[in-house]
Amino acid sequence: MNHTSTNHQSSDAAAMLPADTTSNTKIPGELGIWLFVAGDLIVFAVFFVVITLGHTTQNEIFVQSRASLDLWIGVINTLLLLTGSWFVALGVENCRRNPKGNFSRFFTLGILSGVGFVANKGFEWGSKISAGINPTTNDFYMYFFMFTGIHLLHVLIGIGILLMLRGVSKKPELSARNIRTLESGATFWHLVDFLWIVLFALFYLL
Amino acid sequence: MLTAADQLYRKSMTFCAWSGFMAIIFFIIGGTILGGMIPPLLNAGEPPAEFVRKVSEQLFEIRIGSIFMMISFALFGPFGAGIAAQTRRGEGNPAMSYVQLMFTACGTMVALLVAFTWALMVFRPDVYHPSLVQFLADFAYFLAVFSVPVFGGWCVVIAMPILMAEEGKEPFPRWIAYVNLWAVVLFAPGQMVLFFKDGPFSWHGIVAMWIPFIAFFLWILIMSLAMLKVAKQEPEQAA
Repeated sequence: MNHTSTNHQSSDAAAMLPADTTSNTKIPGELGIWLFVAGDLIVFAVFFVVITLGHTTQNEIFVQSRASLDLWIGVINTLLLLTGSWFVALGVENCRRNPKGNFSRFFTLGILSGVGFVANKGFEWGSKISAGINPTTNDFYMYFFMFTGIHLLHVLIGIGILLMLRGVSKKPELSARNIRTLESGATFWHLVDFLWIVLFALFYLL
Repeated sequence: MLTAADQLYRKSMTFCAWSGFMAIIFFIIGGTILGGMIPPLLNAGEPPAEFVRKVSEQLFEIRIGSIFMMISFALFGPFGAGIAAQTRRGEGNPAMSYVQLMFTACGTMVALLVAFTWALMVFRPDVYHPSLVQFLADFAYFLAVFSVPVFGGWCVVIAMPILMAEEGKEPFPRWIAYVNLWAVVLFAPGQMVLFFKDGPFSWHGIVAMWIPFIAFFLWILIMSLAMLKVAKQEPEQAA
């Protein structure tokens, strides 16, 4: 038995745990989702370096273009994601404490904040494009549209995951595996939130 | 006890894993050391004459490199088939592993065309119109990084059966599924090459080319190691 993979041992162990003790495991969710988070952070770190390099080599264009962004749209989007993350965290915490309760409303609120983010981003992009500004305008806008676009893709995937979590949270009684799914999904949503905060700082504040 | 069928399965998994390792080695020889694919010898923003000048200087190296790349890409077939065979064992019905095989075949074909195009580019660049040489370079990189749905879809259909498998019956460890999903995110910016001829999103840029290429071969490495582990694990599981 000691030759079997550690994965099998840990998954067997997880299956034997009653739902209410899962919160005692070392990490929320499972190892895999944290690998994904670490991987995505590495990629975004490259993006952040690219943006910062642009800022230092084309300072004038970057300062000028940055001034044309509406800071408040960025602030609202940051608040939307932070609130969404808070709702999702509350939902997971409640499900963990009481696997028999129905806490799907927290995930619904998280989804709504995500949809609000997408709508606000659409409004921001729309007004920029109708003003004749697009990714080919200059390097700042190329980075702005591309990197916030890649992030927007994360938000859309995140909304899909939250919809799935909402479905899971509606089950009459949540198993240890269900809780783990909720934690892993929520971890992705927090990642989306975190990445936005850094992008917000780099594009709107620097 | 190890049955004859188990032993055969072990051997075929080892073969498929080694196909992956060899694909990486042949690509490093063909695409990196000789072929000038990565790091990119060419630059999407340069005029056609510059393309001709650069490839003419390294004609022989690129030709030999194309042959090695061809071998490397042909090995994607057994590599993908091995993964599909292993996920098939964990599935009640074979749908996902069939879909995987479709993606494997498509991905292998697209990759083979990269080597074809690269070889054609250096076949007679002195006779071709310079813009044709440029076109063939564009074509090779588009095949490699613009084909996100093929390679990304391949990774998704590997991840799904692992995540959906019953607890303890996963064909591969669950973290492998997340590695596959991560790979999809890394391939995705490759589609940006259509819109840019310079900067990080062009086909010589860091986001659209370097990251997807490195992610792809890292993915092959991780999946091959996972298959090798399965091959070595098999007797204990059967016992």
